[in-house]
Amino acid sequence: MGGKFILSNEAHFNSLKENDAFYTEFFKISFDLDLNLKTEYAFLLSKETQENFSRDVSIFIAILCYELDRDGRNFMEALDFNEFTFEEVDRYFDNSSFIDLIESNKSLREPDARRTLINGMHRRNIVNKNFEDRFSFTQAYKVFVDFAKELALKRMAVESE
Amino acid sequence: MLIQKHGHTMNIRLREYRVIRSLGSDYEMRDVYFKLMEFLMFEFKPLLPETIEKYKGSISELFLKIRKYENQDRDILQERIKNLSHQVREFVDLVERNTFRLLAETRELKSNIDRIEYREKVQKASFWIEYYILPLNRILDVKHSESVTSTVLDVSEYANRRRLDFQDETIRMEFEKLYGQLIQTNTDLLRQSKVLVNELLPLLERIRTESLILTGWIEFLRNPYKMDTPPLLKGSRTMVYAKDMLYKVREFFEQFSVSDYVTLEDGVVDFDKWIFDRDLFKGNLTKSLPVNDFFSWCYKELQKDFQDIETDKFFALCGLLFDGDLQIEFPKKAERVTLTTTTSSISLPKIKVEPALKI
Repeated sequence: MGGKFILSNEAHFNSLKENDAFYTEFFKISFDLDLNLKTEYAFLLSKETQENFSRDVSIFIAILCYELDRDGRNFMEALDFNEFTFEEVDRYFDNSSFIDLIESNKSLREPDARRTLINGMHRRNIVNKNFEDRFSFTQAYKVFVDFAKELALKRMAVESE
Repeated sequence: MLIQKHGHTMNIRLREYRVIRSLGSDYEMRDVYFKLMEFLMFEFKPLLPETIEKYKGSISELFLKIRKYENQDRDILQERIKNLSHQVREFVDLVERNTFRLLAETRELKSNIDRIEYREKVQKASFWIEYYILPLNRILDVKHSESVTSTVLDVSEYANRRRLDFQDETIRMEFEKLYGQLIQTNTDLLRQSKVLVNELLPLLERIRTESLILTGWIEFLRNPYKMDTPPLLKGSRTMVYAKDMLYKVREFFEQFSVSDYVTLEDGVVDFDKWIFDRDLFKGNLTKSLPVNDFFSWCYKELQKDFQDIETDKFFALCGLLFDGDLQIEFPKKAERVTLTTTTSSISLPKIKVEPALKI
């Protein structure tokens, strides 16, 4: 599977959903993997994780959301329904006030590196590449958005203590 | 408080190293250490733009004097160029630190982790805009003739001309260095100006919307390398067969494709190899003496142990003939005997063997 997200519009998602208990046990016993089945996507988790890739994707989505908001756009709508061009992403990243962070990250610092990262996200079903220079997010982006939400709630809880 | 905590010795030591200075009954950290701490912790005190604006005066004055007295004392001119370069460097540094601090403040306002009321947010944003952001924008606005940036641009144009046509080579080099520095300065100031226009000036507009997700992202981007991000599966390929299976299969099939004849040698060692026991046969011969037909005797001796007589065994036994203590007598007639071994048929003379005569 190569760490791919299985999306709700894929045929085997229904099979997973219908036989949730069986597959959970199957992946656990056969490969020691945990099956995470959500309403719109499913994914497997191992004890060893791909931390760097996850961090790069998180930074990428975080900056994109921030810049979309700065541009006066509803970033959740954009992630859900919009198609992005590489050119548009480059414009946001090159003019971002997070330029120091972008330049210090080798997966984000140059347009070509960002394309490689987006291709990696495509391989994992986090984005769909509609054309050579266009992509849109799949429902798997919610893993990262949920992470941001949880982080905010945690910080707010600490602040209110 | 720090001095109180660590006692009188620390107080003396810090004053000795000129880290702190007395201020009545209290102490304060010297500016150079304060700036070092700010830099190390990446936490800067926001400066009122008036503090930054003073660089317009110092830069303009130096620039004026450089132009006015450029043909006078060479050393003073060189010193003025260096001072101008230093002032520009300090100015850019302060602008960068202030923008960084303003960005942090405004992001905090946008993130609104304390969940303060909208009215309070607007008040804070208005404060930042009125006292910090707008004045800083005036300083950086290159279209404004009174801005520091436009003065820096004028200096840059002048330095560009003088680095090429000034008669003194040392001064030309100084202008060259200054010009190089100012090109970078203009790029840096343009970047800061862009941040101001894109992000800080529309602050009031930006804080109108709020999102829990964006709050999370802003918090994450403060220090993304110190937080655990969502775990993702590390892809690995598990083979259901051995990794070198391909090579083994290839090797197996390749053995049938060899068309040349191959000679195989039997590597088995013959552990039952016959060893000629000279003493035994010599004893037997001595007992049988005199022997009329030596070769036939040899043949018969071997026949006692072996059904088929091998040639090398037969010849080994014939070797007894050359022992010095035997007397050999050849037949007067050409009498011969034919003996058959496993590989040969040998025709041999009948030789009589007797014990040697003792003199």
